[in-house]
Amino acid sequence: MTGISTHSFYERSIGNMTSLRARAETLQTQIATEQRLQRASDDPVAARQLRRLAADDTMAAVYKNNAAVAAADLGLAEDAIDQLSNLTIRAQELATQAATGTINDAQRKIIGDELEQIHTSMVAIMNTRDSSGNPLFGGAANGPAYAVAADGSASYAGSGQPAELDVGGGIVISRGLTGPDLLNYSVGGTPTDLLSVVRGLAVSVQAGAPGAASDARTALDSLTAGLDTLSAGQAVIGARQGRVELAVTLAIDQAEARAADRIRLGETDMPTAIAELQEAMTILEASQASFTKLSSLSLFDYLR
Amino acid sequence: MSSDLMTIARSGANAARYALDVTAQNIANAGTAGYVRRSVSLSEVSGGAMLYSAADVSLHGVRLSGIVRNVDGFRMAEVRRTGSDLARADAEIAALGSVESALEQSGISEAMASFKAGLAALKTDPTNTALRAVVMENARTLADSLNIAAGGLDAARAGLHANAADGVAELNQLSTDLDKINARLVRTPDGTSDQAALLDQRDAILHSMSRIAGVSVSIGAHQTAQVSLGGQSLVSPTGVTALGVGTAPDGSLAFDVGGTPVSIVAGSLAGTAQGLTQLNAARAELDDVANAVIGALNSAQASGVALDGSAGQPLFGGTGAGDIALLTGDPAALATAPAGAAAGSRDPGNLDAMIAAFDGSAAAADFDNLLSGVSSAVAGRMVTRDALATIADGANAVLMSQSGVSLDDEAANLLRFQQAFQASGRVMQVARDLFDSILSIG
Repeated sequence: MTGISTHSFYERSIGNMTSLRARAETLQTQIATEQRLQRASDDPVAARQLRRLAADDTMAAVYKNNAAVAAADLGLAEDAIDQLSNLTIRAQELATQAATGTINDAQRKIIGDELEQIHTSMVAIMNTRDSSGNPLFGGAANGPAYAVAADGSASYAGSGQPAELDVGGGIVISRGLTGPDLLNYSVGGTPTDLLSVVRGLAVSVQAGAPGAASDARTALDSLTAGLDTLSAGQAVIGARQGRVELAVTLAIDQAEARAADRIRLGETDMPTAIAELQEAMTILEASQASFTKLSSLSLFDYLR
Repeated sequence: MSSDLMTIARSGANAARYALDVTAQNIANAGTAGYVRRSVSLSEVSGGAMLYSAADVSLHGVRLSGIVRNVDGFRMAEVRRTGSDLARADAEIAALGSVESALEQSGISEAMASFKAGLAALKTDPTNTALRAVVMENARTLADSLNIAAGGLDAARAGLHANAADGVAELNQLSTDLDKINARLVRTPDGTSDQAALLDQRDAILHSMSRIAGVSVSIGAHQTAQVSLGGQSLVSPTGVTALGVGTAPDGSLAFDVGGTPVSIVAGSLAGTAQGLTQLNAARAELDDVANAVIGALNSAQASGVALDGSAGQPLFGGTGAGDIALLTGDPAALATAPAGAAAGSRDPGNLDAMIAAFDGSAAAADFDNLLSGVSSAVAGRMVTRDALATIADGANAVLMSQSGVSLDDEAANLLRFQQAFQASGRVMQVARDLFDSILSIG
């Protein structure tokens, strides 16, 4: 004989209502936390991708900071090169004046003094520090990029190459140029550098020696070559800034893609979840109502 | 005189009383776990026609031939078998779930990502003490998170060992109880209510035993139960053999019955043993991850110089996830510069090597694989468990439809037996009226 045992009717009803309530609570948690996954085993594949996205986000924050540092340092280098160019152009003007035979030694002295000031300014610019407080043009050294000797001449004191920064997307940017990259060049096969050219000119013009005018003429050519070298350095910096911008744009795109993935994989789809919760609640209410009806139905009520 | 109306009526009234008693007992035990619905088995009393011809009427009413327990052994066995499988799946999921929690909630993935990010950030300014301190604290967090995960796994392992020991002790207690019930069953006559009550207890014990371990049951003489596990007898007419549990050299559980090793394939003990095996594997892999971190960073440290120009010293100590620890908290101790560099060097040569070594050790990937493996196992086992639960529920429903008490049926029976009793009373009245009408003659 098969029948419905009273005990199992109650147990089954309780079991059904408990599982409905559990489902409603799961949905409620998903809605309240906005997280679809409460633990990795809810969806192992999605959980793994979410962990990867989180790790990528952590690295992206570092890359973003690196890009900002690189952009700041490159901006500083650009400004420095602009100023150096302006000073070099002024030095060319002064050299042109000094080269003319119509001015006297007293006037040359004044020109020489200004050239010395230009030299000092150039050294100061070359000793600029970067956003981390390290010498901008000193490579990997800690001290000033150019050391000034007792006689006023400056020489490169840096060493090594500037640090390279990973700005994400596989793009590695050197954060600056060394002093020699910017100032050293050859004229007629003879290596020289802008600072010593300007200083040599200043000393020669100040002394007002017989050769001052011819020295100034020679220096004019050299200054033009120096200006070319500065322009080349500026082009390098400009290209690097372009790469940083590319990396930043790339990072923004990737961050958007990651955010979209995270929403797709890990976040609760609100309309669906709310609709499902409503469904579960409706079924639960119906079960409770039918349970009350069925359980109140007893043959004993009719035995008189 | 072979028939007596009064005797027949009395036997009918008695039978109805018994049936009402049984019905009342059923109603009273409608919610009792393990109670099997009883019914009365009645048989006609007739015959004894020795002196008279066969055509003579020889009726003596009805008698109670026994109390019937409405259950069959096959359905009981199905409930035991499916319950055993479900208990195994539940225990295994509980064990794997604790492994998953220990690995996931310790935050190792996040700690590894932060540590690597800290190293990458340090490249912007390798001599910056603040950035170095961040790397050191990230390293400490990484070591701590590995410690926490290892501690969680060790605690879970201790818990599983305790569970197994409890399960074995409970099973042995149940074996002893079953042996006592067997002894009483031998002395109890068939068809009595005492026997029915003892059989309820016997079946309840067998259910409990099969939930702990997938035991084989055979029913012998006098309805006594013989229980064996993996071919070794636990409860037999000759007595009880205890189940023992120990730890095998590889850390898994080893069961024996009276010294003979047995393998348990179902029941919560089997699930616990399976979970423990996977926990041990996960713990060993976590140690591998920790050792990969220790090895990669310590050897990278050794190939560089610290901020003060001295040779790089090991960063992590320990021999596994349980005891990995940061040996120094000094931010200056990070060997970011390559060997031979001067004090305060900004050369990030060795920092690059450190990042490459950390990536090359595949610690992060290995841990990710470990966690993915465990969580996939939990998710897969959940599906199996749900299927087993459905099967067990089905088997239980089939058993309950036969053995459970339905109050509606009992109400109908109450009415039926009450009417039978009243009818027998009416028969007695008729017998008295007949007797009175004979007395009143003359």
